[in-house]
Amino acid sequence: MRTRLTLLLAVATLLGSGCAKKEAALTANSGSNPTPRKVLHFGNGTEPQDIDPAIVTGTPEYRLLQTFSEGLVSEDPDMQIIPGAAERWEISPDGLTYTFHLRADGKWSNGDGVTAQDFVATYERMLNPVLACQYAYMLYNHVVGAKAFYDGKTTDFSTVGLKARDARTLVVTLTQPAPFLLHAMNHYAWYPVHIATVKKFGGLTQRSTAWTRPGNYVGNGPYVLKKWIPNQIIVAERSPTYWDRARVKIDEIDLYPIELADTEERMFRTGQLDVTNEVPLTKLAVYRREHPESVHVDPYNGLYFYRFNVQRKPFDDVRVRRALALAIDRESLVKNVTLADETPAYNFVPQNLLGYRSEHTFKADLTEARRLLAAAGYPDGRGFPRADLLYNTLEKHKTIAEALQQMWVKNLGINITLVNEEWKVYIDDQHSRNFQFQRAGWIADYIDPHVFFDLWETGGGNNDSNWGNAEYDRLLHTALGAPNNPARYAIYQKMEQILIAEMPVLPLFNYTRARLISPRVKGFYSTPLDNYPWKYADLAP
Amino acid sequence: MVSLSEKNLPSADVTPDQLEQGSSLWHDAWARLRKNQLAVAGGLVLLVLTLLCVGGPWFSQTYQDQNLDLGATPPGAAHWLGTDTLGRDLFARLLYGGRISIMVGLVATFVALTIGVTYGAVAGFLGGKTDRVMMRIVDIMYALPFTIFVILLMVFMKEPSEKLDGWLRGTLHLEGLQGVGNMVLLFAAIGAVEWLTMARIVRGQVLSIRRMEFIEAARSLGYGRRRIIFRHIIPNVLGPIIVYATLTVPAVMMLEAFLSFLGLGVQPPMSSWGALIKDGAEKMEEFWWLLVFPGSVFSLTLFSLNFLGDGLRDALDVRASND
Repeated sequence: MRTRLTLLLAVATLLGSGCAKKEAALTANSGSNPTPRKVLHFGNGTEPQDIDPAIVTGTPEYRLLQTFSEGLVSEDPDMQIIPGAAERWEISPDGLTYTFHLRADGKWSNGDGVTAQDFVATYERMLNPVLACQYAYMLYNHVVGAKAFYDGKTTDFSTVGLKARDARTLVVTLTQPAPFLLHAMNHYAWYPVHIATVKKFGGLTQRSTAWTRPGNYVGNGPYVLKKWIPNQIIVAERSPTYWDRARVKIDEIDLYPIELADTEERMFRTGQLDVTNEVPLTKLAVYRREHPESVHVDPYNGLYFYRFNVQRKPFDDVRVRRALALAIDRESLVKNVTLADETPAYNFVPQNLLGYRSEHTFKADLTEARRLLAAAGYPDGRGFPRADLLYNTLEKHKTIAEALQQMWVKNLGINITLVNEEWKVYIDDQHSRNFQFQRAGWIADYIDPHVFFDLWETGGGNNDSNWGNAEYDRLLHTALGAPNNPARYAIYQKMEQILIAEMPVLPLFNYTRARLISPRVKGFYSTPLDNYPWKYADLAP
Repeated sequence: MVSLSEKNLPSADVTPDQLEQGSSLWHDAWARLRKNQLAVAGGLVLLVLTLLCVGGPWFSQTYQDQNLDLGATPPGAAHWLGTDTLGRDLFARLLYGGRISIMVGLVATFVALTIGVTYGAVAGFLGGKTDRVMMRIVDIMYALPFTIFVILLMVFMKEPSEKLDGWLRGTLHLEGLQGVGNMVLLFAAIGAVEWLTMARIVRGQVLSIRRMEFIEAARSLGYGRRRIIFRHIIPNVLGPIIVYATLTVPAVMMLEAFLSFLGLGVQPPMSSWGALIKDGAEKMEEFWWLLVFPGSVFSLTLFSLNFLGDGLRDALDVRASND
């Protein structure tokens, strides 16, 4: 009896002290600040590799870089180009020279002014072959002389078309017109780094040095890095030096690297997270039913498809490829299997990407599919050789593959074998073209239909289907020189016709991003690139 | 001479003659096992489950027909145990999956048992340098990370396995047997790891009895090593072996699910109990039946195996029977 009483007392004291502490913390905060401090708790997926734009490759890192730095231009929530570190710019009539005028009040978080020389030095580091930066191609695909410098053919950076005319004027010269260049420039490959800091900690050609540690890191973005405990938290605090600081409303963003969607969901339920990175698929329906206000499903700039190896039987025959593509019920697939409001893809570019709408689409057509299969020599699937569908080990890919496997059995009478491999083996088999057909996906790095046409260029770095078409390649290059976007898009329409006729890949659906967002978060925009213009977001008290 | 003495005996009671023959061990064990009701019940349940899995699919719906619009439905008249998210009948999938699981459980355990017992008994009985070398080999194999081993096996065996499948399909026209190569790989992978523990257990047991008097007696009678190991030592360490074997069967079944997920073993749309449970565990908050039914069947199998194993150990324990 007595022990029980003491226990009760102990519990009561513990509870009491806990409450008191919390209140004290609250009052302390509001004491120093007239308005309560706004802290956003954000699920950021995985632990970032780094926050050095020359090192990183993933989306969690993209979000962090947008928090801590800013490129020459930026994108608003509607993906329109708005001024960033540059306040205005001119493009020469031939589309080859871009002149950026940096803003006078642009400042690094240590108070230094942001200069054109900073950008040039950043790009020189980015293109340095010793650093071997993965995204260097975002620069050298467009800029004069950059490829030669990156390949080490010259060590003279003055041959490269990236020049500072004065402290506030940057001139970029291109090899061929790139109408989407401004959009591409909102990718972190074009973001500036504070060169003096990089030099101080390990130098320009060292990877993963201490310059990105809290305390050392200097950025020019809306937030500064305050704390970084690996695998636990990254704390971003509102920057006092950012030029547009008046627009930034949230005082602090806490980014948590949580890989498991279920963990995130639990933290969201208990109020520890305001925005999650994912939603467990099986719980999506529950949330839609019980908390529809928290569920946000946005289009995502990516295509989920099956890639044929057009040099292997039976997919060397275009009729077989088309038959397989036409015999799928994509509506049923997204409605019943993928479950996150994906849009069925009957073309090769996500719809309405920066005003581009595909005029040519194909549609599911069983009679035509059976006719094509018979014409290819497999009436009703008889005699169809073994065909392995390769996918990387993941539950979602497996379920989708199973659903399609059954559709092809039912609709065409052909039996596909499913093969799954662990990610690294799978990627290896893909690049060595050791597959018959395989699951694949492509998420664009910037928002322009060009990204999705560039993919299928003959011999392109990511075109592992062995497919090539001279006319297609010619159109791809003609399009870049088109005088304006409508003219360029008209050429893309023709290219899509070629793709539909040839079907080097089998488009399935366009990705979406589903996440849980607490109703107290206001003005939160998720763009089709899965990044967030933080300065438009706010928190209700 | 031996058969003569047996004919002359009126009953199967324990007599010195029969002990020498060693045949009464099994006869005795059977008598004792029959008296153990739990063990008998366990055996019967296993038998019924096996028969259902082997014969049931002929009467049930197919395991692969999907009804995407139906999706996951709770148990009802049309689908006794409900359907999964692709609208496939869970009852049918459970029966088909059982074929794979039971086969894998029995075959892989048998493989592990054969290798492990022989290896462990030989190492323990011979002792000395041979023992040391043999056990270090076991240690080395233990140290190999399993997942990496499996991935390596898949990379190197992919082509032979595909060739086997191509041959089955092209030359023999046995489309139904496709994937056999993959199953053989699966047994190889499981067998390669599961026998290690068995070998250690058996060696330990053998060490404890190899200096006992009856072994000395057998030796002094001039019996060869092989005869001593298989006739005298192994029957005396059967108890722990059987208990461990009953524990190996469920472990192997779960291992199969893991390997199938990695791409070795059964490939979708075929399924197994382990794969069904894994799938159900992910979706249990929405669709409870996807976990409850495969889980129950799996636990039932496990319990039955354990009861049967316990019964067998009691029945076969030669030292206990001599008391």
